[in-house]
Amino acid sequence: MGLIAAAIGLLAAGVALLRLSWLRKRRGGLKGAVLVGWLAIVASFFIFAHAFGGERGIAFALLAFSVVGLVGVTATVQVRRKRSDSRDRAAEPAQRATNWTRAIAKSLLAIVLAGAASIGVGVAFAVAMPMPETDKMLIGGLMVPVLWGGGMAWTLSDSKLFRATAILLIICAAGYTIAFLPNLVS
Amino acid sequence: MTDASTPSTPRQKKNWLSPEFVRAMLAGHSALGLAFAALIYIVCLSGTLAVFVLEFKRWEQPNVPLVFEEPTPEAIGNALNAAFIAAKEHSETPDLFVAWDGSRTPHFNVSFHDHESGMEREWLADAKGNIVEEVEAPWSEFLARLHINLHIPPTYGLFIVGLTGVALLSSLISGLLSHPRIFRDAFSFRIGGSRRLQDADLHNRLGVWGLPFHIAVSLTGALLGLSVLIIGVLALAAYEGDSGKAFGELIGPQAGEDVAPAPLPDLSAMIARIRADHADSIFSSAHVEHAGTVGQMTHLSMRSPGHLSSANPYYFDGTGELIGDGGLESGSIGQQILGALHPIHFGWFGGMTVKIVYGLLGLALTIVTHTGVTIWLHRRREKGRPTPFWERIWAALAWSQPFALAAAALVALTASPALILPSYLVCFGAALGIGYLSRDETACARILLLLSGLSLCAVAVVHIAMFWDRGIADPMGWIVDGLLIGGGFILMADVLILVGKRYMSGKTARGRARSTP
Repeated sequence: MGLIAAAIGLLAAGVALLRLSWLRKRRGGLKGAVLVGWLAIVASFFIFAHAFGGERGIAFALLAFSVVGLVGVTATVQVRRKRSDSRDRAAEPAQRATNWTRAIAKSLLAIVLAGAASIGVGVAFAVAMPMPETDKMLIGGLMVPVLWGGGMAWTLSDSKLFRATAILLIICAAGYTIAFLPNLVS
Repeated sequence: MTDASTPSTPRQKKNWLSPEFVRAMLAGHSALGLAFAALIYIVCLSGTLAVFVLEFKRWEQPNVPLVFEEPTPEAIGNALNAAFIAAKEHSETPDLFVAWDGSRTPHFNVSFHDHESGMEREWLADAKGNIVEEVEAPWSEFLARLHINLHIPPTYGLFIVGLTGVALLSSLISGLLSHPRIFRDAFSFRIGGSRRLQDADLHNRLGVWGLPFHIAVSLTGALLGLSVLIIGVLALAAYEGDSGKAFGELIGPQAGEDVAPAPLPDLSAMIARIRADHADSIFSSAHVEHAGTVGQMTHLSMRSPGHLSSANPYYFDGTGELIGDGGLESGSIGQQILGALHPIHFGWFGGMTVKIVYGLLGLALTIVTHTGVTIWLHRRREKGRPTPFWERIWAALAWSQPFALAAAALVALTASPALILPSYLVCFGAALGIGYLSRDETACARILLLLSGLSLCAVAVVHIAMFWDRGIADPMGWIVDGLLIGGGFILMADVLILVGKRYMSGKTARGRARSTP
């Protein structure tokens, strides 16, 4: 119990130092505090791992990190002045001329083609990697949502549809060739 | 994570992402978020509640035996025998399942499944393994199905939920890349001023600090939802199109063809066999496929401390011989990932504390989704291009869920389980109708908050009334009822304060009128 309290205390101290430094950064900065803050956070992760074992300890530490960070944010809520300053300038997304055809094409790219490409790569990994069956299936499987998500983010932000289509088609062709070639050859 | 406000610095530091890249990412983030907002919102909210689905099951059956201590091997054997006797009335070669995981719930579950007919039944047993009562938790089942497949046939529903997970993951990636001052702004949360900036601060802070959780649940959820599709393609490539064979690599050996009668497996001996190697392991579940046949296969799951996985399955063939294990606790990296998928997704690896943290962070993710849309709506309004229709519809969709879920719970308590889904859909539709007819989003939100609050309180009152005679033995019943009433009043607070203020100002005005000669 004492060990866990120490870990949470270190985590809170680390987050507090980061807060102190990052909010001060606007007025000159506090470089040493950032380093000490991160070191305290890493140290708390080690204590969690020592107390609960590597698997559960790191999971607990990540959850505690999120909670402590949010508590830090909530505890120091500021009231925005009515008269806005330059901090209150919101970032604007790129404005692009669009139409239904382009929107449908983008959706097909992001959902269908990016999905097909990511499944192709994941399955190619699961078929071709020299690893135990469960390992390559699971790692290949985990690659699919990550690649699909990345592909979605990229295709939706890239204004050049042709480029995205060409790259995704090449990835599809490469992935499915690697995945199905041994089956076709044998 | 959008709409970061720009801090002024004495010396403007160059951001690591170019403004053009950030603007392009923000455009993609916005388009994706809007396209999937409703689905992500429903999946996140239902998932947040589903973390506590085992507590809701206890609330729905508050008078069944609670088994807090690990059942003895004899009790586990008794439960298996009792399940077999009950199952044989309906099935020739039933699959039996006996489960107790005290770290999640004190319910001792016994169930069977028949491959041929698809029939399933589930009971609760006491500490001695005697079957006491059939499991009847229709609202909990409804909630779990809403999160897993949105009550759409599983083939499509799982895929849609998996795709929603991918969209969420993609939004996290594009949100991060459109936030160049992620560290400098990490603690900057200001309320007041324009609603767009306030929502942007809330969206960014909850999004960034909850990031490890958001990534973990969206990644595991996407993989769980898309597993059938991925395995289907993998089967075509490497398993002659046989998905069952591909899944078999993950779920372990299955029962043999020989269905000649044989005694049930000796679970006591099997548990003792595992404890010879792992003295501190605790029983978690036993799954006997084709029980009572020569070809039966037993997967005995035992949990050793210190792992994310719920338990490790040990495989025993029809002769009772140990033929291997799943390696979910200390096997290869893939096996350990497989074992950790469900616990990480549902927060079932650290008792009630982790569940509560998952509940809070799940709520944060739901708020991130909600504010993602409101930021877009406020931005349009600030630019002089308001969309009052979508403002009302989004408010209606957001507040329709507590109302519809509470109404479904009322139906589950008082009527046939077959009416739960229709009642949920009717209330969902009615809420959208209120959004369509309301004067503005505030009016729409207030009506639905009032309806949600009243419905939640009504659920608690009806639950207490229904079990008043028998009493509510399980403290979880009272805890959930208390939370429902508390939650109901919190939802109604805005409306109650407004009514109170109007009443007070009316009273003051009347008092002044009387005192004026």
